[in-house]
Amino acid sequence: MLRANAITKRFGRTLALDAVDFEALPGEIHALVGENGAGKTTLMNVLAGSLAADHGEAVLDGRPLQAGSPRAALAAGIAAVHQSPMLFERMTWEENLALGGFDTGAGALDLDAIAVRARALAAKLGFEMPPATATVENRSVAERVRLEVLRALSFNPRVLILDEPTSVLAPSELTAFLDLLRNLRGEGRIVVLITHKLAEAIAVADRITVLRRGRVAARTTPAETNEKKLAGLMIGEIVTQPAASATPSRSGDPVLQIENLTLDDHVGRRILDRLSFRVAAGEIVGIAGVDGNGQTELVELLAGVRHPSSGKITVLDGSPGSMAVIPQNRDLDGLILDMRLWENLVLARPLREQVTSHGWLNTSHAVDLCRELIDRFRIRAPGPETIAGALSGGNRQRLEVARAIASRPRVIVAHNICRGLDLAATAEVHRTILDFSTGGGAVLLISSDLDELLAICGRLLIISRGKIRETNPGERDPERLGLLMAGARD
Amino acid sequence: MLSSIAKPFAALALAAALISIVLAALGASPVGVFAALGEGAFGNWYACVDTVVKSTPLVFTGLAVSLAFSGALWNIGADGQLTIGAIAAGAIGPHLGNFPHAIAIAIILAAGSLGGALWGGVAGWLRARRDVNEVIGTIMLNFVAVQALSWVVHGPLMEPSRAYPTSSPIARAAQLEFYFAPSRINLGMLLAVVLAAACYLLLFRTGAGFELRAMGRNRRAATFFGIRIPALTFWAMTLSGALAGLGGAVQISAISHRLYEKLSPGWGFEAIAVALVARLNPLGIIPAAVLFGALDNGSQAMQRTQGISPELVQVIQGLVILIILAFDTPAWSGLREQIFGAPPDAAAVPPVAEMPDA
Repeated sequence: MLRANAITKRFGRTLALDAVDFEALPGEIHALVGENGAGKTTLMNVLAGSLAADHGEAVLDGRPLQAGSPRAALAAGIAAVHQSPMLFERMTWEENLALGGFDTGAGALDLDAIAVRARALAAKLGFEMPPATATVENRSVAERVRLEVLRALSFNPRVLILDEPTSVLAPSELTAFLDLLRNLRGEGRIVVLITHKLAEAIAVADRITVLRRGRVAARTTPAETNEKKLAGLMIGEIVTQPAASATPSRSGDPVLQIENLTLDDHVGRRILDRLSFRVAAGEIVGIAGVDGNGQTELVELLAGVRHPSSGKITVLDGSPGSMAVIPQNRDLDGLILDMRLWENLVLARPLREQVTSHGWLNTSHAVDLCRELIDRFRIRAPGPETIAGALSGGNRQRLEVARAIASRPRVIVAHNICRGLDLAATAEVHRTILDFSTGGGAVLLISSDLDELLAICGRLLIISRGKIRETNPGERDPERLGLLMAGARD
Repeated sequence: MLSSIAKPFAALALAAALISIVLAALGASPVGVFAALGEGAFGNWYACVDTVVKSTPLVFTGLAVSLAFSGALWNIGADGQLTIGAIAAGAIGPHLGNFPHAIAIAIILAAGSLGGALWGGVAGWLRARRDVNEVIGTIMLNFVAVQALSWVVHGPLMEPSRAYPTSSPIARAAQLEFYFAPSRINLGMLLAVVLAAACYLLLFRTGAGFELRAMGRNRRAATFFGIRIPALTFWAMTLSGALAGLGGAVQISAISHRLYEKLSPGWGFEAIAVALVARLNPLGIIPAAVLFGALDNGSQAMQRTQGISPELVQVIQGLVILIILAFDTPAWSGLREQIFGAPPDAAAVPPVAEMPDA
């Protein structure tokens, strides 16, 4: 039995965990749900030894765990899969697994043996491994998560803690993944699943613990609760406003036009295959797909970071600054975390031009603009001079969206903008996007979260292995769409 | 701003404390040694002037390095760029006799800047267009520059009598004069100060400077927002080279008046330390350069009166840099805040965990 006894953890002035008790039994899947900042990840880090609690202790099978030692936690049988993959980007997947628990005996590093064992375990779990000696940095987010799960399982742990592992999985992969969790439960292990997908928690968990602002808000079971009740427990009040509603696409003038867009990588592999579609003014078009099917490359093409092998991207009736791109990885691509908020704002060319005259940057103008946007988009920050890295994930995303809107583009391209955001922040981002579209803006929303797309997109495209297909306007069945995302044909 | 100046001095004090222990262990008097060091660097008017003269090339190269480093372009080649700038100045200098003084000065300084710009630009082009890492590019170009200097003073630019491996002296018109002779104070330092201010404005008050800093902090994000990395890389390296080359020309015009082998005692490398101590802030380059100039200058007095080797000064310099860098780690920040109070940034910005979502 895994127990956390009255764990308290404080960061500066914030109480991240306030005397939290938690308990998970062998042969149980225990879901830990809560908003961003509720303390889920902190609790995981304390249990897995990455953080030392200020007060309280973690106990596994009656033995207290050494605080703040991941090594001790691992030795005791607790393995964790972190939300942002902790992998060595520039090493191969085999090398990454070499730090796992695949014991190859002799003490010498035998990568081949590791690969064989990894493939065997992966096959058992229904995973497919990347080709031999593939470097991690070139793999999709989904593959990285799988790699991390595999690395954690290689230790044959008694306890597996997973932090939001499913947000990057396709519906078809999700079923397999949840089955895998059930298998682990069947073997008598303790599985702690951190998630804010409530349906998933209800579907797979035996018990659910709800955290809110560092405290346990409720302990319940799927039998006695439902999504609505859970959401209320998480937020503290029932969210009544619908996050957003999909509007049927109006036929405005086309704004973004993609024609036969094709991209081959440096070894000639086809990444994107003759994509053609349009996005009209006032329309929100969604592109659904499992990560790693060409979405990142498509966004890079649209942002002008890469050049297509052939084909054309046209923003009709638009100046160069008429497209705003919100890349999926806000911390790497979207923001400069050690620069100030106003500096991040003027990273967008239209805004930079707005505050630059004859080459001189009018910093006070930029600061004023930033202050205005902080108010308008309710970004929680002390002020424009704040370093972007000091903001929470939700506020970083608000800043990105604010920057895109303030650039007054004709079209916004957004990739996985709500990944890792809680319900309230997601609803707010969606509302902002909807307002933009109502005001005549065109939106291309690329996401692996089908629910998100179904909620706000008028028209849905599916991307699979670099090809795009249109769906029937009336097609709203997640299961069927999920099959298409996974590459099924009609 | 205040704390960014206070921190290096605190580091210096800590370095001095460590050095004192070493000196005491060697049987020397730390007080006597440091007094001699201070006396030699700032003891009288001439010592002060000499310190300034010694730090002038470090300001130019320090600015060159901080500009490039601000864009995460690791220009290790300021020494080569300074050398090429000096060669250009030394080559054109003897032929400027018929020009008015101001014009001759302008020409010789422009020649030096162009020479340095060329050398920096080559490294920048290699990085931008051929993806040659600028660290390797600039180090290789340093070797070429040193050999080029050696070749010209033994060959095409060798003085007419062919007795010494030096070039002909530059024309009187092209020499920056000394004020308050026999002190060697000259306009070079003033130029360096003006350029430091200009570099500050460029980096922090212009769109181009912002783009450079954005590229330095996060190249990927800069790419995503349409900043043209290759062009910026080329121009930043070119400008960086021009600053170092100008330093070479000032040295020729004001101090040495001619070319000779091993003109630079390593100003371009010391500049990296200067730039790091100044935390890449152009305004901080001046005190940082003066600090290193003073250590250089004072070391001679230290050697004379206390019998301490000047190499020890380099030990001090090394310790200062290491300690300044160590001050940047989380382990030190607690102690630092206890001693100096929280830095202004930290007061305005709570740590990440303190701001939950709305």
